[in-house]
Amino acid sequence: MLLFENKEQKLLNLLKFTGSPFKKFVSTGEIKEDIGLVQSRQDLLDSIINVLEKDENVILPIIGDIGTGKTHLYWALKHELYYYNIVYISLENVIKKFYNNTYSEFIENMGIEVLRNTIRRLCNKWGALERKFGFFHLADIEKVKKEAFEKWSPNFENKEAITDIITAITTHQLDPYKKIETERWFLGEVIDIRDLSRLNLQHDLRERNNAYTMLKVLVENAMVSSVLFIDDFEKILSMMRANPIEEQTEEVFDRSWLFGAMQSPEKRTADKILKKIINLNKIKGLRIIITLKSTEFYKEIIDKLKEKDSTLLNIVSDPIILSNFIKEDLTSFYKRNLEFFFGHINYFDYLKDFSNSSYPLNENVLKYIYNKTNGNPRGIIKLLIKIFNDIVLSSEDLEDILKKYQ
Amino acid sequence: MKNSRNFILYDSFKDIKSNGEFTGSIISKFQDKIIFSDNIKISDSEGIIITEGLIIGFEKKGNNIDPISRNSDFKWNLNEIPLEYSVKIPEDTMEQYDQGQFSNDFPFTINLLHTAGLLLNDLNFGVNHLNFFKGEILKNPVSMIRNGIIVADRVVIDDNGNPVFYDCLIVGRDKDDELNISYEPIVNVDDKVIVYIIILGIEELKI
Repeated sequence: MLLFENKEQKLLNLLKFTGSPFKKFVSTGEIKEDIGLVQSRQDLLDSIINVLEKDENVILPIIGDIGTGKTHLYWALKHELYYYNIVYISLENVIKKFYNNTYSEFIENMGIEVLRNTIRRLCNKWGALERKFGFFHLADIEKVKKEAFEKWSPNFENKEAITDIITAITTHQLDPYKKIETERWFLGEVIDIRDLSRLNLQHDLRERNNAYTMLKVLVENAMVSSVLFIDDFEKILSMMRANPIEEQTEEVFDRSWLFGAMQSPEKRTADKILKKIINLNKIKGLRIIITLKSTEFYKEIIDKLKEKDSTLLNIVSDPIILSNFIKEDLTSFYKRNLEFFFGHINYFDYLKDFSNSSYPLNENVLKYIYNKTNGNPRGIIKLLIKIFNDIVLSSEDLEDILKKYQ
Repeated sequence: MKNSRNFILYDSFKDIKSNGEFTGSIISKFQDKIIFSDNIKISDSEGIIITEGLIIGFEKKGNNIDPISRNSDFKWNLNEIPLEYSVKIPEDTMEQYDQGQFSNDFPFTINLLHTAGLLLNDLNFGVNHLNFFKGEILKNPVSMIRNGIIVADRVVIDDNGNPVFYDCLIVGRDKDDELNISYEPIVNVDDKVIVYIIILGIEELKI
């Protein structure tokens, strides 16, 4: 019979065995995060949801200093709005082939089944399920294509692109011998000219207009609403402000030959990207969230949008400011992380035995962390990593370690 | 005339006749033939009119009996209607039928170009190709059985030489001679109760 168990020592031993519960201090759009938002941010999340739930296009700026948890907010939104299709893009990854890469992110996020269902529904809407003699499906591809083109062409600027897309949709659904190749086309794969010609298509989705039009078709016709989360939007401004050519270090190639002395390739690219992002607002129902590091960037972005098209300001929502943690947030954040960590390794006694304690840290250490970091979430995680590494790796007593952080 | 169940548009046995113009998926039994159509007009003044229907069955030509599937208009006046019944398949049953259909790209399915007779139980002109197609999957079979009609997406001939219909619409009479419609994913039929099975040719449907 077990008469006495030193639960605190057991927890420490477990930590030394498993390693620190705090490992990652930077959130990314690729690695899923399971821990939700702290209490003070719950209201913020509600106000974001209120803006998104209005059934219209919107650009919602979220302003937060470095490390305040803007990217983590994306994961929180994804968990909360699970019935939305929320797609994360980091501008750095999509600068080249913007529409094509954004479309690929949508496909990756939605999955192939959503794409197939959307295509099937569209094709049926165009008369593919018409029953001859009331019973037999005998879809006439040309007739379905004609019907689709008559219905859709007025709504799309680029007729060549919409022709390609209608051809691809009808071929995918109605021509079993070309289905696999057409699906590759829909997935954004590179299709060689011979296959394109066999499919009766002009271009694959690397072509800008095709990618944009396909994105529009997908977003407007999928059964779920879409939100595009563009992280680090101020990158566009920093590209526009790229150093003048003369200030840069020696270059083998004189770039002024490209666009003159006053413009850099980066500025040209940034201008193009901004134009493309603005163009995304023509996609009905697409909500865009942009994250910015400061209100100065926000003002600059507003000026840029005004310059391009002042009517755009109508769809820019009031910014939401992401501030640092308040003191209570730190405690709840710390507890939640430990609960998640120990739950993950099936040590559920932690919830029972330490529900009212901050062990292995204590209130003073948490206060020290808060004061030292001013409540900046990333700063807090960094310090927690440091302290827990000390606890896990050092042979010193816990009390001695904690003394250093009080 | 009364109509107890609204899918029955006309039933000569039960003296049911619903006047009006109907569209949808309509099956009519005409002597030993079947008519598929997407419309039917029934009125006291004009009788019964089917525009662009597809008639299916076996037809005697000289000493031969051939399967037919022919696109035609039909008109009968009320004094001499040879139709046994006309029923409109409910839309939800049709949706079930649509969903159960094999995708066109499923391999190893035989799609005949021209309409052919797979089985005809007739003493003089019998046709039986069941053994020839044993183990094969044939698309678009239509079968007349003793008390009804089976329209299926595909038929497979099993090891015993019996046809197994998949994704079927069945129209038939029960023991009280009441007409019923049902959807069955699989129907196993003894070939002795079958009057005939015709495999519809895809090209002839397009005409």
